[in-house]
Amino acid sequence: MSARLSNRRIRLLLVFFALAFLAAFGRAVWLQAVHAQGLDRLARGQHQSTIDLPAARGSILDRNGVELAIGKQAITVYANPRHVADPRATAIAAGRVLRIDADRLYTKLADRSRGFVYLARKADPKRAEALRSLELTGIGFYPEERRVYPQGTVASHVLGFAGLDNRGLAGLELALDRRLTGRSGRRTVVRDPFGRTLKVLSLEPAVEGHNVRLTLDNTLQANAESVLLRTVRRWGAKAATAVVLDPKTGDILAMAAQPGFDANRFPRTSRDVQRNRAVTDTYEPGSTLKVVTVAGALSEGLVTPSTQFSLAPTIQVADRVIHEAHRDSTERMSVAQILSRSSNVGTITLAEQLGRERLERWIARFGFGRKTGIDYPGEISGILPSYWSGSTIGTLPIGHGIAVTPMQMASAYAAVANGGVWHQPRLVASRPTKSRRVVSSRVADQLMAMLEDVVIEGTGQEAEVEGYQVAGKTGTAAKPDPSGGYSSSRYVASFVGVVPASTPRLVVLVTVDEPRGAIWGGVVAAPAFQEIARFALQYLEIPPDGSPS
Amino acid sequence: MGVLLAGVVALNVAVLRLNIQSDQLTEERAQLRAESAELSSQLALRAASARTSSLARRQLGLQPAATTRYLDLRPR
Repeated sequence: MSARLSNRRIRLLLVFFALAFLAAFGRAVWLQAVHAQGLDRLARGQHQSTIDLPAARGSILDRNGVELAIGKQAITVYANPRHVADPRATAIAAGRVLRIDADRLYTKLADRSRGFVYLARKADPKRAEALRSLELTGIGFYPEERRVYPQGTVASHVLGFAGLDNRGLAGLELALDRRLTGRSGRRTVVRDPFGRTLKVLSLEPAVEGHNVRLTLDNTLQANAESVLLRTVRRWGAKAATAVVLDPKTGDILAMAAQPGFDANRFPRTSRDVQRNRAVTDTYEPGSTLKVVTVAGALSEGLVTPSTQFSLAPTIQVADRVIHEAHRDSTERMSVAQILSRSSNVGTITLAEQLGRERLERWIARFGFGRKTGIDYPGEISGILPSYWSGSTIGTLPIGHGIAVTPMQMASAYAAVANGGVWHQPRLVASRPTKSRRVVSSRVADQLMAMLEDVVIEGTGQEAEVEGYQVAGKTGTAAKPDPSGGYSSSRYVASFVGVVPASTPRLVVLVTVDEPRGAIWGGVVAAPAFQEIARFALQYLEIPPDGSPS
Repeated sequence: MGVLLAGVVALNVAVLRLNIQSDQLTEERAQLRAESAELSSQLALRAASARTSSLARRQLGLQPAATTRYLDLRPR
């Protein structure tokens, strides 16, 4: 009896263990086969993490290595509204520390339909740290890089700016975006419950962005900008532009514009002010273009610098009568005097000898009507006459009916200063540039001698720099009127000069848009040229003409 | 066998320690980079020539130098 009972108990126990084993086996199959993927993902999520390794954006440096645009660490503060226990108290605390309107933060934090909201993108690290110390639940932090322009307004038109996501949006920041932007890396690690790294599963290192060195000199740039600011204020002008160029290399040492803006505050600046006028805007050059006609006439062997002409104060071209600006009687003038005294009648006389086809060829040869190829985005080609009327041969040689960029004009004069060889202008120091001969060295020398006379006895005497010989040309042109024809009150005054004239080191161009009180290039723009050139000569320690170098 | 087991455990502990150390160094590196960027930014700001000349004018009353005069000395 007791043996039978005992066997029964053993069988019951066996069944119980068999069922328990079956249940355990079933559970194991359930966990390891059916739910394996989900549980694996959950486990990995708990102890594995992939961290983005952000790549720093490269800095933009001036020619001396001074930083013009750099990356600075900032902390982005975010929140998961679902984890925030008391949205109002959190908003008040975060708003006080981050100096943000608490009501705005509350609206974000109270919206529990979202799992992620930004409280402050790229906040000041000190404020972010102060907020972190409050240990508010649902608030997170991660480091980001913020683009900073330490020199504020200096070269802001050239540098452009980068947006919140650190991608270039304008200027060189946009043009050089690929070089400046690095490649982010990733690191996958296994962590212990305390967050310490136990094992690195994979590592893809970040590739930092490259630094870019410019040809600009921050000191010359800052000075050019302050001279332009004074010029704009003095003449109540709408805008002004200056370009300082090394004629031997095409290096742009300064490219300034007014009104200026602080690149750190670009979202609050109007598009109109952000434009780099030296390459994106055109103007009618007026008399500064006369050098092209004279160069053409000399190069074609039609005249020499001493060839004399008897010139009336007016000239009839088709249906138009074009006047001299500075005289009202007939005079004999040499070709050299035509340029130095900026004679409209003399230049048109030379253009008529040259003829339409050759004049067009010479204008193109000096680079007008096409982009210079400068390494800056948004450069425009300028405008050449699409249709030649009977009077075009009278207006074009004196710089009307044609629109050029300040950059084109500066590089054309740089070619004359460089013995007739044109160099493509450049802003990035390492960039190889193209060059080509525009005029012979003999003609270039003749033109330089004529341009020296402009400053010694002609219209550009205000551009004189004590101790140095300056060669240059003034320009004054009425602006086209929106209703047709030319304005009688709105002008562009300009001066482009080369210094020292005997061994050219600098070409400086200044344009002043809509000056009031005076309109002449020799009165409005030449003094600005003088200030910029005098400072640059002293700063670069360029000895005067005739000094042993 | 026991020695081999002890060696494997010791090796794993060493790897663990190195990983923790590497993690700390990575964080330290990131921190130092941020500080370096901050210092570079301050340096660039302070070295800005426009700021220097403005301070020189306002605080020290300095004026831009007059034109440099060059003396041409020729040996007799």
